[in-house]
Amino acid sequence: MKDLKFVFAAVVTMASLVTNASAKDWVPESTIEIVAPASPGGGWDLTARAVQRTLTEEKLVNKNIIVSNKPGGGGATGWTYLKGKAGNPHYLAANSSLVLLNNLLGSSELTYKDFTPIAMLTTEWISVAVKADSPYKTGKDLLEALKKDPGLLTIGVGPSLGNNDHLSFVRVAQKFGVDTSKLKWVVFEGAGGDVVMAALGGHVGLVTTALSETLTQHKAGKLRILGITADKRVDVLPDVPTWKEQGVDMVFPHWRGIMGPPEMTAEQIKFWDDAIGKMVQKPGFKKTIESLNGQVYYKNSAEFKKFLEEQTAALGPLVEQLGLRKK
Amino acid sequence: MEAVFSNLMLGFANALTLTNLVWVVIGSFLGTLVGMLPGVGPATGIAILIPVSYGMDPTTALITMCAIYYGAMFGGSIASIMINTPGDASSIVTCFDGFRMAQQGRAGAALATSAIASFIGGMIACVMVVILAGPAASLALKFGPAEMFALILFAMTAAITLAEGKLLRGCVSLFIGLLVASIGIDGQSGVIRYTMGIAAMQDGIDFLVAIIGAYAISEVFNSFAEKDVVYNIDTKAIGKVMITMEDWRKIRLPIVRSTPIAFFLGCLPGIGGSMTSLIAYTTERQLSKNPENFGKGDIVGVAAPEAANNASATASIIPMLAIGIPSSGTTAVMLGALMMLGVQPGPMLFEMRPEIAWGVIASMFIGNIVLVFMNMPMVPYIAKLLALPQKLLIPIIICLAFMGTYMMNYSAFDFFFLIMFGLLGYSMQKLDIPIPPLVLALILGDTLEKTFRQAMVAKSGSLTVFLDKPIALGFIGLAAVSILYSLYQSRKASAKAQETEA
Repeated sequence: MKDLKFVFAAVVTMASLVTNASAKDWVPESTIEIVAPASPGGGWDLTARAVQRTLTEEKLVNKNIIVSNKPGGGGATGWTYLKGKAGNPHYLAANSSLVLLNNLLGSSELTYKDFTPIAMLTTEWISVAVKADSPYKTGKDLLEALKKDPGLLTIGVGPSLGNNDHLSFVRVAQKFGVDTSKLKWVVFEGAGGDVVMAALGGHVGLVTTALSETLTQHKAGKLRILGITADKRVDVLPDVPTWKEQGVDMVFPHWRGIMGPPEMTAEQIKFWDDAIGKMVQKPGFKKTIESLNGQVYYKNSAEFKKFLEEQTAALGPLVEQLGLRKK
Repeated sequence: MEAVFSNLMLGFANALTLTNLVWVVIGSFLGTLVGMLPGVGPATGIAILIPVSYGMDPTTALITMCAIYYGAMFGGSIASIMINTPGDASSIVTCFDGFRMAQQGRAGAALATSAIASFIGGMIACVMVVILAGPAASLALKFGPAEMFALILFAMTAAITLAEGKLLRGCVSLFIGLLVASIGIDGQSGVIRYTMGIAAMQDGIDFLVAIIGAYAISEVFNSFAEKDVVYNIDTKAIGKVMITMEDWRKIRLPIVRSTPIAFFLGCLPGIGGSMTSLIAYTTERQLSKNPENFGKGDIVGVAAPEAANNASATASIIPMLAIGIPSSGTTAVMLGALMMLGVQPGPMLFEMRPEIAWGVIASMFIGNIVLVFMNMPMVPYIAKLLALPQKLLIPIIICLAFMGTYMMNYSAFDFFFLIMFGLLGYSMQKLDIPIPPLVLALILGDTLEKTFRQAMVAKSGSLTVFLDKPIALGFIGLAAVSILYSLYQSRKASAKAQETEA
């Protein structure tokens, strides 16, 4: 028995030696830089730092990893920097749907095609909420009311039109038959906080924003969440139905992921696919993401690329139709 | 009340450990350093700490963050007083009189006043947080777009009236500021305005860049142009550090008065220390027997804004703790860090995790006390820096200004703005146009416009929206009164001038 174990170990060792010698596997040769194209504390920053932390703690990458903050231009500043590192797999950047929306909205030349998609990591779902004393008890109530009079309620959204929060509610309302051109949007600067404050103070009729922003208010009985864009009910809020359950067939993730510079080789992509594929399995990563109110929603580089293509095809016409594309 | 007291004791019990105290000292020191660099504010200081805080207990992390916050506020004032360059937005107002005091050789007194006023303002505000967190948070909720617009309008009229008898010049300055503030992507419609096709201008011009230009760089230009050089400071007097009994008598009331105003303004989201300190400054100036001394090195002009910016920094914790919504960039970073540590902020925080909520409040008390004991002994050494020869001091200022500018957006394009605003600030000084209205418009112009349009949506563009909002009407009324009063004053002044001529 003992011998057998020894033989087995020897075979494994030799096999690994052989693979190391034969395949042209790529491993990082210097410090890795993950660009968070936003200020510290935001979603991109926290995602980048969660990746940095897990990859380091779990020893999935044997080199130093740093996170650099390059805010500006809705991500454009940091991503332009990444684009300038073409072919250098030691640079990565956090991204989200803005990487394609900025382009669809006409505010940036950059699009996902200028980069190498590495992985989709997490998602948050988007919630529609009203103040607790509002007469609307279900998503259907609300949509019926808006169908009769689209200008009845003001809708708080932030930080700008054309983002996920805005587009997701437009899609929900459209599918229900609301005349979305007559909806009254009030745009707030901060994506979550300002919008929720406005809802709590009764300064807007309803809000569409990340579930994480409304969750605690819902639990405290200050706001009521009427619908979420998830594919199924979420564990933290078993009492809140999805739009799908309420007869509006729509799932809309607010995802975050990570990408590399253009011109990466297949070996380099493979390294990151392996490392990040392992990373998302780690309980530490899952815990960090959940403490940020997200959930792990992993797609590898190939799946991620396909998703980006599909999203572009779906959202492009919508943005045109809403007249949001800048000339 | 008893429950509050015992909760606070729980907070102290949690906060007062040896490890925590060591971190407070480290945090205060780091914060002061970070705050001194123009452009790098408390938010950056705290963000730097985030990776370090992973291994920490949440209370330790929070207490360190609070220490950095306060430290950075004090550091910002040092830069304002010593080199006329605000280290961060909330210490802009400190430049007005602080730098003049430094030129008169009273840098030590100005720095000491800043430390003392910050300490008292911070402590009173902490007590107010303990007693008033709940009501203050519900007051903050009453401030919707219409109220916010009216409040900012009032602050802007207050800034114009600062330059007594120069109402028109004040307006010119304000409008330049508003014009610059409208550069960039418009949030409501997504239209790009006044960028001349330059991508780097899409996010607008960072107001801190403009402010560093208008203050620090314009002083540099000044020192080249003038024979009686600007940074020529009476070096013999620098040694006199502490404030005198007479100074104390002058500043104690303004400090106590400024704190409650700043506290309530600080609870409102989007109202930073810059606006609260400006309002405190104008209020004190109006109450002063010698308003003409303001802007020329009046010690009250340092005490009032310094007490106010610390009080408002303290108050900005309230929305974060009581509602779960950060009201400033710094508290947003703190909130993010808390979430990384597994603390779920929100309206339930006081019930679910009292040790955290009260720990924050206790750590603010501790941070305040540690800072004043750490900073007072440092004051004479900092003040001595001004004894450096001009040929050393000016390059240092230029270097700090450029470094601070770059660190904000990592964009070398901002250097153009820095220099442009330096020239603008210099020309405005020469033309006797006051700079404070420009600064305020730069900081709040964007919010003024946004809140106005947000308020308009509800009534489809009808101004009647302000009529059913008593708070908003009240502030619009105050704005009108402050303009009329200053018109009346300048008429009286010119009548007097004519009399003396005749």
